[in-house]
Amino acid sequence: MGSSTYIAEEELAHLQKLSGEYQPEVTGPLVGERQSSSAITTEYANADPVYRTKTAALPSKYSHYRTCRGDGHCGWRAIAFTYYEALLRLGDKNRFLEEETRLRSLHNLLNTIGFQEHLYEDFADECFELLRKTAASVPAADESAAASLLVSFNDEALSMAIITYFKLLTSAWIQTHANDFQPFLLDQDIREYCATQIEPSICEIDHVGMSALAEVLVKPAGFALEVLYLDRSPGEEINTYHFDPLGHDGLPIPNPPMLRLLYRPGHYDILYKMEDIHIPQAAPIHVALAGYADEFVPVGRGMSDVMTLIPGMYPTGLGQNWPAVSYDYQPTAIPQPQMAAVPTYAPVPVSTTQDYVSHVNPTIPVESPIGMSINSPMTIERGGPFRPSMYELEPGFHSGQSHSLPFQTSIFRNSHYNTAHFLNPDFQPEEWTPDSEYVTSNRSRNKSSSQ
Amino acid sequence: MTAAEVNSSEAKISPPSRSTTGSANVTKRLQTELMTLMMSSTPGISAFPNDENLLQWTATIDGPDGTPYAGLSFKLSFEFPSTYPLTAPTVLFKTPIYHPNIDFSGRICLDILKDKWSAIYNVQSVLLSLQSLLGEPNNSSPLNGQAAELWDKDPVEYKRLVLARHREDEETGLGL
Repeated sequence: MGSSTYIAEEELAHLQKLSGEYQPEVTGPLVGERQSSSAITTEYANADPVYRTKTAALPSKYSHYRTCRGDGHCGWRAIAFTYYEALLRLGDKNRFLEEETRLRSLHNLLNTIGFQEHLYEDFADECFELLRKTAASVPAADESAAASLLVSFNDEALSMAIITYFKLLTSAWIQTHANDFQPFLLDQDIREYCATQIEPSICEIDHVGMSALAEVLVKPAGFALEVLYLDRSPGEEINTYHFDPLGHDGLPIPNPPMLRLLYRPGHYDILYKMEDIHIPQAAPIHVALAGYADEFVPVGRGMSDVMTLIPGMYPTGLGQNWPAVSYDYQPTAIPQPQMAAVPTYAPVPVSTTQDYVSHVNPTIPVESPIGMSINSPMTIERGGPFRPSMYELEPGFHSGQSHSLPFQTSIFRNSHYNTAHFLNPDFQPEEWTPDSEYVTSNRSRNKSSSQ
Repeated sequence: MTAAEVNSSEAKISPPSRSTTGSANVTKRLQTELMTLMMSSTPGISAFPNDENLLQWTATIDGPDGTPYAGLSFKLSFEFPSTYPLTAPTVLFKTPIYHPNIDFSGRICLDILKDKWSAIYNVQSVLLSLQSLLGEPNNSSPLNGQAAELWDKDPVEYKRLVLARHREDEETGLGL
């Protein structure tokens, strides 16, 4: 009897061991190929409405994404990969050397908190070796260097070594900056926190860990980290969290290279804007604007002066162009197109009235949704004051900024208060009544529906 | 890393060539650990590879003073996976031991040997952790419920059972 009890215990222990060792099967590459982010929208097409709403706008802002295998390391791996990728994107061999030197200097921190050098040097060497290898691939064609980096990160031993190294740096940073992090850990001992939440081989990054990794790795490299939290919290926008780098002067670095992550409960993937993929060039933007200018000219010519003075007319054409532009090229380029628009437009022989009206209109986005609402739902998303949101306001806000100076002319102010302006009490009801709106913007609506 | 390996990795990186580097790293790492252990000679613990196989070690720890294990010494076996140190070694008590967190086959319930394993741990830190586990058992999740109960209730009986179970030259039945 005694022996049978023993066997049962053995068996239980065995089962316990099996269940302890069980890991759900995970598939897919450690880091996947870059693909269109519309796949995310498709993925959520039949999901909860909150997800549907939030993902619907995603592809227009973040054109591409990359999956990370959900093996419990994805957050660490996503940051590590995008860190290398951002260095590669800068295309400066010296930056790789600078980073290696900087990381080596951090070994003082590792030693300070009692990590023995022979225990971390292998991981550090793997990290530096990949830095050097990637640096060597910089002069090569862009695609092959990126592909080689992807292959490296899909080697489990190598990517785990780099993740481990970054974990140790993170742990050392937290322990040597205890005052910054202790408030977030409540009463937990900081050493114990690091031993159980940062250093273990199998532990996903948490917010404290991510903050520390941003401090030790991302920000000093001059990069910013942006995390989009896609969850079921109320709202139409995906919540975004930024870790922004500071320059030597203590001021934020303008337009830093961005590492972008998409967080879905328990999992991280990598996001890209179009600008992250192609080195920003004026050429494609110019093409888009040439279309906009060309389109405008016939409208201006074909209409009477009174018609062109109606602000709603012009943004109709513009508003239709913008969704297309923002799908292909990101709206950060907005100041450039607006600047480019002036020379493009200037040679066209038009009356001065038309000239300033065409500039005025982008600053009055109010008209845009009204003119467009029937034809194109996308312009509703573009919003304007009626449905304010961070994403929608951004383009209008910027163009308003960049144009505020040239428009402070007397002519401009006059146009603001003439009968054609939306602030004018005589004009406003006209724009708001569907019938009269149909009459006034008849022409351009026809144009838009043909597009 | 040898010059040949550097050259091959520069020429073309493919996962297979990297994984050989991985197991080379295990060997290198264990050699360094062995060196450090022998140089530092921490009192109360020792460890050495079995024969030629660097992936299997035998270790001993002395029971800490002021605990029921004082004066006793315990043999353990270490088995290192090829993914070490990213994965924990398998550690077993070969000497029979009566302890709340160690079962009669010598298997150990210690978080750092399971989900809290970190690549920064090594043979030395594992042995030191086990040594302190002898004096400070985690009685909230025992493998040996009786031991966990007696630890607080009846230290005399506990000590008697420890001594009764301990047999210097005998190894536990797992026979691995």
